[in-house]
Amino acid sequence: MINDSTPVISVKHLTQRYGTGRVIYSDLNFEVPKGRILGLLGKNGTGKTTTINILMGYLRPVEGDCRIFGEKITEIRPETRARIALLIEGHVQYSFMTISQIEKFYSRFYRKWNREAYYELMKKLHVSPNQKISSMSCGQRSQVALGLILAQNADLLVLDDFSLGLDPGYRRLFVDYLHDYAKSEEKTVFMTSHIIQDLERLIDDCIILDYGKILTHTPVNELLDTFSKFTFSTTDDSPLPDDDKLVNPYRIKNLVEVYSFRDADYVKHSLEKQGIKYSGFRKEEMNLEDAFIGLTGKY
Amino acid sequence: MVKALFFKEWIKTRGVFLISLIAIAAVSAYAVLMMSRLIQLKGVEHLWLIMMLKDNSFVDTLKYLPAIAGIALAIAQMAPEMAQKRLKLTLHLPYPQNALVAIMLCTGMVELLVIYALQLAIIGIYDSTILPVELVTRVLLTMVPWSLAGFTAYLFTCSICLEGTWKRRIILSLIGLAVMFIYYLQPALEAYNGMLALIIIFICLTAILSFGSIIRFKEGRQ
Repeated sequence: MINDSTPVISVKHLTQRYGTGRVIYSDLNFEVPKGRILGLLGKNGTGKTTTINILMGYLRPVEGDCRIFGEKITEIRPETRARIALLIEGHVQYSFMTISQIEKFYSRFYRKWNREAYYELMKKLHVSPNQKISSMSCGQRSQVALGLILAQNADLLVLDDFSLGLDPGYRRLFVDYLHDYAKSEEKTVFMTSHIIQDLERLIDDCIILDYGKILTHTPVNELLDTFSKFTFSTTDDSPLPDDDKLVNPYRIKNLVEVYSFRDADYVKHSLEKQGIKYSGFRKEEMNLEDAFIGLTGKY
Repeated sequence: MVKALFFKEWIKTRGVFLISLIAIAAVSAYAVLMMSRLIQLKGVEHLWLIMMLKDNSFVDTLKYLPAIAGIALAIAQMAPEMAQKRLKLTLHLPYPQNALVAIMLCTGMVELLVIYALQLAIIGIYDSTILPVELVTRVLLTMVPWSLAGFTAYLFTCSICLEGTWKRRIILSLIGLAVMFIYYLQPALEAYNGMLALIIIFICLTAILSFGSIIRFKEGRQ
């Protein structure tokens, strides 16, 4: 039975590995509720694209139950696929088609097709309708892919590394368009990107993946409110803090940075308890990228 | 939707289709020219005699063209799908996935049918102006297995292109080569008459290979 409270994406006990070798992750669980924009973040090789491939039915997981709109991903009906817009890593499209051919092609498959949304974006590119997609720049191709997604008017948008190969201008254009569209139309978005600054302006929630597990699944605001970066100076021979509540301590000469979900008093107390002499203790302003590095580490 | 899918396949294949069509028409015209030249020099009786006594159909130059056209068309059609894993886009279309693959294969088969029909028509029409029905039928029945070889080459190449793993690509290529070899094993005229129905059934079964490749693609065996 599918109702409004049914999550758009539901992943339960998902386990995947490379062939018969290394486990990418095991027992992964998360849900994406309707109308939320969720960013799946992680370093290279943590399984972001793998997760999208599994969700789109292009990879059979070792174990787990994945559903989209309540349907098992292995048994998704064509009508349900019509509700999902997919952006493949690198804005891959049918590059052998022209601007107008590709619009004409896709329009036959989607009942809610919005031709104007596509051509409005194409006008900004100053390209002829007869221009072949293969002859366009990566940035222009990204706009074609975005235009097609907007025209499809899907309920769920799945975007795999939309920022790949884009210069800052096109990235900004993509983010702004997508944000306005998703928010005004109450779309659900599930996306990955390796440029986290872009996502901060776009996503409501984030899942941060580390090798093998989810480190956190939380609204971005909540993460930035509760997770903090602290810096302090110490002597060169002083050890790094050893407390599982203080994550990824890192030293550059005598300046140490450390991240924690605990407050400044707890961190100071922990340092004192470990006999670490410090000075110039500060809580730093942090953005999503800092939080990501704080959680996953620099290496 | 079906029209749109045919349209997509047509965009990919139209170049190779037209080149194949022109090439086959040109080589068929060349075969016709050779026959008419021989008739001019030695008379039509001489041609008949060679045909009946020396088992010469005068269309040997056309032997491998259908297979070459089949391979070229399959590559033109399937390589863009596999480049950058574009097949994901196709399989994501809101249309039954098996029907999608069937339409892709059908488009290629229909285009090949047109090419081969043109070849048979050129030779058949010309031959019927100079030869008795029995000899025309003999020439055409000699050419039909070459066309069937073309369909087989097309279907094998499609499945090889759609296959995600090199190991299976190599296995399919070797099987395909062995099968193609059988088509050209017997140089005698009408050598395959007794097994044409069997070959057609085999071709239908060969189409299943592409569906298998798609299943493996969806399982992530790439």
